[in-house]
Amino acid sequence: MIRVSHLHKSFRVHRREAGWFEAVRHLWRRDYRIVEAVKDVSFTIEKGEIVGFLGPNGAGKTTTMKMLAGLLHPTSGEITVGGVVPFEQKPEFKKMMSLVMGQKSQLIWDIPPMETFLVNKAIYDIDDRAFRQTLEELTELLDLAPLLDKPTRSLSLGQRMRCELAAALLHRPRVLFLDEPTIGLDVHTQENVRRFIVDYNREHETTILLTSHYMGDVAALCDRVMIINYGRLIYDGELSVLTEKLAPYKRLEVRFSRLPKMNWSEYGEVAEVEEGAVVLRVARETAAETAARLLQQFEVRDINIEDPPLEEVIARAFQEEHV
Amino acid sequence: MNVRRYGRVFREFFRACLVEEMEYRSEFFGNVISSFFGIGMALLTIQIFFYQTDRLGGWTYGEVLVLLGVFNTLRGCIDFALRPNMPRLLEHVRRGTLDYVLTKPVDSMFYVSFRHLVFWRLIDVVLGFGVIGYGLYVERYVPSVADVLVFLVVMAASFLLIYSLWMMLMTTSFWVVRIDDLSFIFDSFFETARFPGSMYRGAVRMVITYILPAVLITNTPALALLGKWSARTAFAALVVALLFLWIARRFWRFALRFYTGAGG
Repeated sequence: MIRVSHLHKSFRVHRREAGWFEAVRHLWRRDYRIVEAVKDVSFTIEKGEIVGFLGPNGAGKTTTMKMLAGLLHPTSGEITVGGVVPFEQKPEFKKMMSLVMGQKSQLIWDIPPMETFLVNKAIYDIDDRAFRQTLEELTELLDLAPLLDKPTRSLSLGQRMRCELAAALLHRPRVLFLDEPTIGLDVHTQENVRRFIVDYNREHETTILLTSHYMGDVAALCDRVMIINYGRLIYDGELSVLTEKLAPYKRLEVRFSRLPKMNWSEYGEVAEVEEGAVVLRVARETAAETAARLLQQFEVRDINIEDPPLEEVIARAFQEEHV
Repeated sequence: MNVRRYGRVFREFFRACLVEEMEYRSEFFGNVISSFFGIGMALLTIQIFFYQTDRLGGWTYGEVLVLLGVFNTLRGCIDFALRPNMPRLLEHVRRGTLDYVLTKPVDSMFYVSFRHLVFWRLIDVVLGFGVIGYGLYVERYVPSVADVLVFLVVMAASFLLIYSLWMMLMTTSFWVVRIDDLSFIFDSFFETARFPGSMYRGAVRMVITYILPAVLITNTPALALLGKWSARTAFAALVVALLFLWIARRFWRFALRFYTGAGG
């Protein structure tokens, strides 16, 4: 569905030092600097996949997504989405895809979301029957019924996001680009949005590419993740494999009635020590054995073995040049 | 471009804006009052001129009224479709919502030009036509079918010309993001079109006739309706308008290429 090969994007940005003199000098002499935002990125995404796109701020996620959506012209490299080149911006392409940006709204502020839906109906040239059907389905999935006739400005952030999703899906896009769709939402709403995305994907086999800062989104939605850093794709594969690769250890949290004074590092790498508890990082293979030893040697109140949190894994990935 | 489809989209824009306006109904009445007040003041000003003289730059009282009517009608059209949209382009660029516009399967220039319509401004159009009618009555002139046809053509040309000029001005917002004050430049230039061009002297006249043809924009339709037209002028107006539209369109495309970083 999406094919990207050797994608590059560089921007020319002004460079200006601070200060009065520099401000004046800048009027007639501008220094430019070339910033390479995306470097040699290649991947393919098959129909119906949900892929998580991760990276720290400024890593090139949004730039790549904008190129896929036809909003930015690649400096070099090739992209096809559904067999079409996005940047040609043909109506055929635009009708096939949709873009939702968590931080930008397409709903008309002062009037109910239904009005935006009707405008989109005309813009996408959706016939009455298809429109009614789709709207009915989305209303049910996203629980929109009580929101449709309230002015957008009076909706909460979460309610608005649900409407944004509906507005973006009315024309039944085959490819959906979600840029931070859960940003700023409370945990409960995040969960609802995630569940909707999963259900919708399963139902319609929509190909979804998603960027997010919340690891919860990625863990819940994506089997496959791509990690980009400094403009380079440093990992593309299954989430579980990434965890094993980058964090070949388990977290061992041990609680005692009274913390024995001793050097814990002989059991594993000490991550945290707090009152009555110690957290150790122990190699995967020896985790069970270490736990048994601890139970035998100390008066342990509680012991907990778990995978390292995804945040930690990703943070490690961001530090690596290549995974 | 599929005209019928764009007609439907335009109708939908209009409807959405109507709903939006109705959210603020009190504003509606306030604006009706200010429209009447505006045209009343303009009529009064002309009255005062004509207490002193019976000609203004060679135009009679009735002719000046027709001109004022044309001016008001054009301004109504501008306020209906152009003024509400143009500053928004700036917002789109600044806030990044232009991205949404660009992902829509309609022409982006069409979208940014007509998405927002302030329909109560059409009152100025109605009032304008009223004043035109009154002027013609004062002048005791009944326009022929040809007069009306030429009038409609040059009026459309005028609107296109204004649209193109304004569009070009606003398209610069891709580079200059602090351009809020530019529509005021346009306003002061357009204000000169309220009066007969022959009233102005010297350099001012040169500028508003040839460089920024504000005067031609209103004077030509008014003269057409008064039967003082030439096919050549009308044709020239149309050609110039289409030329400017073409330039504005090219400029828009160029700006978009800059925005998306193609060939930039």
